[in-house]
Parts: sequence; structure tokens; C-alpha cells
Amino acid sequence: MKLQRHRTALLFLAPNLLGFLAFSLIPVLLSLAGSFTNWSLRPAAPLEFVGWDNYSRMFQDRNFWFYLYNTAYLMLALPLAIGGALALAVFLHDGFAFRRARRGARLGLGALVIATVSGFTLLLSGSPNLAYVTFALGGISSLGLAFGAVTYRTVFYLPHFTAGAATILLWTQLYNPNFGLINNTLESAAEALGIAYQGPGWLTSTRSLLGFLPLPAHFSNGGFGLGAREAIMLMGIWTAIGGNNLILFLAGLASIPPELNEAAEIDGANRWQRFRHVTFPQLAPTTFLIVVISIIGGLQGGFEQARLMTYGGPAGTTTTLSYFIYLQGFERLDLGYGSAIAWVLFALVFSLTLMQWRYGKRDGTD
Amino acid sequence: MRELYTFLKHLLLVFLALATLLPFLWMMGASFKPNPEIERLALLPEEPQPRNFAVVLRLAPDSRTGRPMDFDFPRWYFNSFFVAAWVTSLQVMTSAMAAFAFSRLQWRGRDTVFLLYLGTMMIPGLVLTLPNYQIMVKLGLVNTYTGLILPMAFSAFGTFLLRQSMITLPRSYDEAAEIDGATPLQIFLDVILPLSRTGLVTLAILTFLGTFQSFFWPLVMVKDDHLRTLPIGLLSFQTDYGQQTELIMAATVMNVIPLIILFVIMQKQIVSGIQLGGVKG
Repeated sequence: MKLQRHRTALLFLAPNLLGFLAFSLIPVLLSLAGSFTNWSLRPAAPLEFVGWDNYSRMFQDRNFWFYLYNTAYLMLALPLAIGGALALAVFLHDGFAFRRARRGARLGLGALVIATVSGFTLLLSGSPNLAYVTFALGGISSLGLAFGAVTYRTVFYLPHFTAGAATILLWTQLYNPNFGLINNTLESAAEALGIAYQGPGWLTSTRSLLGFLPLPAHFSNGGFGLGAREAIMLMGIWTAIGGNNLILFLAGLASIPPELNEAAEIDGANRWQRFRHVTFPQLAPTTFLIVVISIIGGLQGGFEQARLMTYGGPAGTTTTLSYFIYLQGFERLDLGYGSAIAWVLFALVFSLTLMQWRYGKRDGTD
Repeated sequence: MRELYTFLKHLLLVFLALATLLPFLWMMGASFKPNPEIERLALLPEEPQPRNFAVVLRLAPDSRTGRPMDFDFPRWYFNSFFVAAWVTSLQVMTSAMAAFAFSRLQWRGRDTVFLLYLGTMMIPGLVLTLPNYQIMVKLGLVNTYTGLILPMAFSAFGTFLLRQSMITLPRSYDEAAEIDGATPLQIFLDVILPLSRTGLVTLAILTFLGTFQSFFWPLVMVKDDHLRTLPIGLLSFQTDYGQQTELIMAATVMNVIPLIILFVIMQKQIVSGIQLGGVKG
């Protein structure tokens, strides 16, 4: 009987376990072992055990520190993305129902009628662009007024859901310094105000917001301004702010017992005090989860952006650790060194998670 | 007063939503523009050119060269759906079976093996990619559909997600079925699977989306044009047709539209899935 049970369990487990061994466990061991060898696809030298050579080479590699800096710098967008998601969630959670039950639906219908009429008027009077925006506004506002928070949540989630090669290429066009939508808008606005203004170089520029710091020469510091890294960060915030973080915050907010806020309100706490002393502490587990996930993602991030937008440039300023690993492993075919970098990245991810976990635990028991 | 406040809140969010959508609105407009109009500030083309889509789909010749494009975009489209469908069905199947073994069956070493699974979830995909590629070289699977699909067909995350939803089902269901003489396979198929539908649908959506959009693995696996998936195809598009923004945007629109449709249809499951899993996506 007992043997039978074991056999049944093994049969159910087998397909997954085999795949797990072949494509997860064995590769992990291979890569760990490989990081201590001169494993390379250019078969000049026979495979040899080289001890910690790859690791000491990494710590002496000026580029490693530069790319680590780039990775950390791009992660400065995380607080903005997380804070923005929290603010948006609190705002969305607040409720959008009108006191009179059917007022929302009526207003929505009204918005639809107004937008349609004015949209067609604009279209016929020869302003198709304004008509386009009017139709979009009418669509969002009528759905929003009629169905409330769900509409906005759906719209905010779209950039995250569609994120990938396509949206990265889309932003590459928006950032074009000469005719992209962003600089076009900025420069036209400046022109209308009578100011001569040249928009930022975005993906072609090595400037950064920390460019005023005395960074080492090989960090390709282009000075203070908006450059390729800021472009990637802005796109990241657009993608992340309404994404999974918003949904997780909304779920967290929904699980807070309303009595807590009601009691605080009776005690005379204002909106901010209620957020500071009731909502935020109650959300601590959610915030903690989001911070950990974001850090893990951030440390491994930047590959697609580098590969699709900038090839890691200009002058290496958008090369992150993940793109560095790709370059070593798949372009220079230096698998031993690439594996060693990947394991240092793993160690970083692991220790930050551990730290957050301990800190988060203490915070939670306050 | 309160009604006015509610109204103002709506107003603010409508403008935030418009700002979020603006890149998409530009993309739609640009995909219909003739090339010289791309540089203008206008969102919409003055002379709409739906032909851009026909050129990308190879139904019309590229006006620059006078012959169809070198790329097989329709094939990339097919590949993306084909690979994503295979990975999704295999991954859901193997994950469900393993989750069943981890949650409903008793066997020695169960929790140890499960911990091993959880442990590998923490390892960055990058650590695995280099050796996995070498394994594929040794197996001769580089530049094949199998190579694209197989390593993605097993997931510790999927197993974890489904185990979490299966473990909440009351034991009495299995016991009742066992007394009626059901085999474990029958219990799995007729009792547990139907009850875990939410988890299965969630995993299917997340896996499908993840595979459809995946970039790193297909990038290193695929060499031939006819095996490219959309994201990889878009990359070569960008490289070779970088000046023809209107064609790139038409291709982008065709990549994004299926996702928007999928999201609007499945939005309820997606939202509850994210709350269930807390990770990935």
C-alpha cells in the first residue's frame, strides 16, 4: 500500500521533476561550477579549474563597477514607481460612487454625448487631432463616470500588460531627439512661448541627474541633465506605476477593516494622519512584498531596454549587469566569466532579500 | 459639496488616464502615417495610409524597394502564438500534476523536494540561461521549435501557484471519492482539477503572456528568420527598417492589439491571479 502511494506520487511528479532537473537544477550546478573554470566557446585553451580567478578579475574590472552603478542608478526609479502606485491606489480606493445611485451613469452618458457631438464638430471643422483626443477623453470619462474605479484601473494597467519589445520600440520613437513626440511637444511649447529651446538628447545622451557628482572618468559622465538612463527610468515608471504594484496595493487596502479608519476619524484624525497612522502601517506587509519584488526585478533589469533601445550605450551608460552577462556569455563567449557575474548578481539579490526580510519582520511587529 | 469632490476626482483621473494612453494614441496614428509625416507633431496622419499594414504583412510591396519585405512577419505572428500555446498547455499540465503530488498525496520527502523547488524560484533566470543554452547546443535543439518550447514547459512558479490553491481544498473531497473507489488519477481529473479552475486559468494567462512577450530565450535560441517570434522579429525590423517608423509602428500595433483584447476579456481573472500569486507577470 505504502509502496503504491509512492509510485503514484512519483508518476504525477515525474514530468515536472524531470524538466526541473534538466533545465533548473543541473544548469544551476553547471553554472556554479563553470564560474570557477575558464569555460569558453573559443576553444583556444582546454577547460581548466581556475579557482577564484573569474571573481577577482570581476572586482578589478572597471566596467563591472560602472555597470553595477548603472544598475543601481536605474533602480532609483523604484521609489517613484512604488510611491506613485501607492498614491494612485489610495486615491482609487477612496471610492467613486456618487451619492445618488444613478447620477454616475447619467453623467457618463452626458459626457459621451458631449464628446461625440464636439468630436464630430471638430472633425468637420478640420481639426482631426483635437477630435481624436476628444473622442479618447469622452470614451474614458463616460466609462469612468459610469463604472468607477475599474475603468481607471484597466487603463493604468495596460502599459504593464503590454510591456515588452513592442512598447520599448514605441518609446524609442517617442524619445527621438529630433522629431519624437516628446521633444516635438517640448520644443513647440517653448516656441509658442517665444523661448529658444533644444530638447534633451534622451537615448543619445550620456547626461544624468547625478552627473554633477565627481564620478570616475570611465563612468562616461556627460554632466547634469536628462540622458539615456533617465529615458529608460521614465519609461519604467510609465510601465510600472499602474501595474501589479497598484493591484497588490488595492488588494491590501481592501483588506483593511474599515472600523479602524472610522475610529480614527471619530478621534479627530485628518486624512493625512489616518493615512500615516492607520493605512500605511496596515499596508506594511504589502509594501514589503512589493519592495522586495521590485528590488529583485531591478537588479536583474535593463536587458531588453539595452538590447532594443541603446545597445547599452551611449558610451556604456545603459549597460546593466544583466546586459553585461549577456555580452560576456553570448557575444564574447566567455561563459566562465559570465557565470561568475551572474552568481555575484544572485548573491546581491539574495542578500538584499534577506536583509529586507529581517528588517520587514521587525517593522511588522511594531 | 461631496458630489462635487467626487466629480473632481473623476476629472483628475480622466486626465491621468489620457496621459497613460497618449503613447498608444500616437502609435495608432503613426501606424497610418506616410513616411514624410512621421516627423510632424500631429497625432493623426493628414493622408492616412492603411497600406503600411499590408506592407508589413507582405500583402503589398515595400514602396522603397518595389518588392515585398525580406521579413516574414505573418510567420512571426504564427510562431508567437504557436510557441506560447505549446508552452502554456505543457506548463499548466506538468505544474498541475506536480502540484497534485505536492498537495494531495502523502509521500516521504515531499516537503524537502518542495523546498528545493521554492529555492530555485529565487535564482535569477540569467544564472540559468548560459548553461541552459549549452545544454541545448549539446542536445542539438538550438534553432528549433522544441528548443524554444521545452525549457519553458516546466515551472517551479507554476507548481507553487497551483499547490497553494489546491492545498486549500478540503480533504473530505478526496476521501469521499476514495471510498467510492476512485483511483488517484480519477480524483485528480474529476475532483481536484475542476475545483482549481481559478488557479489554472490564472497560470495559463500569466504563462501565455510571459511566453508571448519573452525576449531573452528566443533571442539566443533562434537563428533563422522563419523561427522568429514577434519580439525578436521586431528587433530585426528595427535594425533593418529603422528609418521606416510607420512600418515599425504598424508592426507594433499588431503586436499590442491581441494583448489588449486578451486583457479586456480576461481582466477579472488576471486581477485575482496577481493577488493570488503576488509575484511574476
